Amino acid sequence: MKKTIQLSINRQPCTIAVEPHQTLLDMLRDELGMTGTKRGCDKGDCGTCTVLVNNKPINACLYLAVRADGKEILTVEGMETDEGLHPLQKAFLEKGAVQCGFCTPGMLMASVSLLDGKKNPTEEEVKQAISGNLCRCTGYTHIVEAVVSATKKRGEKF
Amino acid sequence: MALPRFQYHEPTSLAEACQMIQEYGETAALLAGGTDLLVKMKNRELRPQNIVSLVELEEIKQISVTGRHTSIGACCTISQIADSEAIRSVFPALSSGAEHLGSPAVRNLGTIGGNVVTASPAADLPPALAAYGTKARLKQGEQERFLSLDQIFRGPGATHIRKDEILADLHLKKPPKCSGAGFFKLGHRNALQCSIINGACYIALDPQTGKIEKARIILGAVAPTLVRASSAEKLLMGEKPGKELFLEAGMAAVGDCNPIDDLRGSAEYRRDMIQVLTSRTLHTSLNEIRKSIART
Ligand SMILES: Cc1cc2nc3c(=O)[nH]c(=O)nc-3n(C[C@H](O)[C@H](O)[C@H](O)COP(=O)(O)OP(=O)(O)OC[C@H]3O[C@@H](n4cnc5c(N)ncnc54)[C@H](O)[C@@H]3O)c2cc1C
Ligand code: FES
Ligand code: FES
Repeated sequence: MKKTIQLSINRQPCTIAVEPHQTLLDMLRDELGMTGTKRGCDKGDCGTCTVLVNNKPINACLYLAVRADGKEILTVEGMETDEGLHPLQKAFLEKGAVQCGFCTPGMLMASVSLLDGKKNPTEEEVKQAISGNLCRCTGYTHIVEAVVSATKKRGEKF
Repeated sequence: MALPRFQYHEPTSLAEACQMIQEYGETAALLAGGTDLLVKMKNRELRPQNIVSLVELEEIKQISVTGRHTSIGACCTISQIADSEAIRSVFPALSSGAEHLGSPAVRNLGTIGGNVVTASPAADLPPALAAYGTKARLKQGEQERFLSLDQIFRGPGATHIRKDEILADLHLKKPPKCSGAGFFKLGHRNALQCSIINGACYIALDPQTGKIEKARIILGAVAPTLVRASSAEKLLMGEKPGKELFLEAGMAAVGDCNPIDDLRGSAEYRRDMIQVLTSRTLHTSLNEIRKSIART
């Protein structure tokens, strides 16, 4: 039986009826057509489905959609604002941290909360933040560089 | 892969959850963070028709300290434990286990209760919990009972927790003054890695003589359940801590378990690592004692 949930997705209120067996990832991609969040392993191993729930990164493939009732969700589609791309997105472009791009939404989501929290995360902390995210093109070096450079330039609000 | 279909139930209290699990019996599964259960359901290893969700139950999501007693709700997330100052300052080996589990996103979902009940021989929290002498409080309707963490496991994926019991919280006593503990985990890489071996050590010294008066050495992923390295523990008792003694204890620990060959490592490699890591973790425990003495 479907259950109606109310939540906020990328700062917009949303009411939607979901099946209990749908994950947040199923809901975003299949019900809402928000395909920015990728489906890789579908089992928690690759991190490409990472989204923020109440500001914390989680694997959307392991999170039942019904659990999102009353929560605030941020996906890669919500990073850009009226002021343009998020500083982290800009840094990914500048540093060439994107190859095929399949891991990029997850990498952005896994590291965006780092910019909110810590003042000046070390390279080690950046690596720790994206430790659950696989990049099959193995561009880790540029990705880490991009996150570090974005944290240095911070100050702009998103 | 899509999840099989099921009915979803969200009780608003632990008491209601107990009722539901009794009512649905064999057809039900409890859901906490879902990082084990949902994976097993996607793999079609499990197909519960009713899912009873515990995740929103505030009463089992708290870490509370009263005097010398700490209680950790079963639905506390791994991140909550890794980030808790109350845990780090008194139970550093448990913090360390939590920090080494999975990835940040998995830690934000997974819970301590799920980590225990899943009963994976390689789970990262049970060794430290057992080393600290933790007791699990189990609720069944109005009844409750306590099980010691080193006696809770029956085999891979199996515990002595009954199907209609819910793990409510974990109870730890503040260790005495001259005691310390450490955790180790050996994996192929630093994140998202099931342990090849893991374990935790705890030692307490007699404050007068400086000799070891209590020792617990718990090893994971070396046998179907946690192993208590009792001959290594015996060897330590009544002795002054030191390099030679810890090396011998490491060797004795190898004799206490029965590691296997598998994809993650050979039995021989595991035996070597048990020796090295047990003795190293005994040093960590001793350093903890020195640090706590220096602080006072
Ligand atoms: C990518 C990935 C990496 C991982 N890495 C690690 C790792 O490095 N180390 C490690 O130890 N684990 C790891 N795990 C396993 C898992 O994340 C942990 O075991 C986690 O703590 C499970 O908690 P959960 O709340 O998600 O459990 P769930 O999946 O919700 O539940 C697990 C089982 O416990 C039962 N259960 C849960 N809570 C209770 C309760 N209160 N009372 C009674 N029964 C209950 C459920 O019915 C179910 O059978 C990993 C998992 C994934 C997906
Ligand atoms: S798709 Fe969720 S972790 Fe891979
Ligand atoms: S850029 Fe291709 S997977 Fe990372």
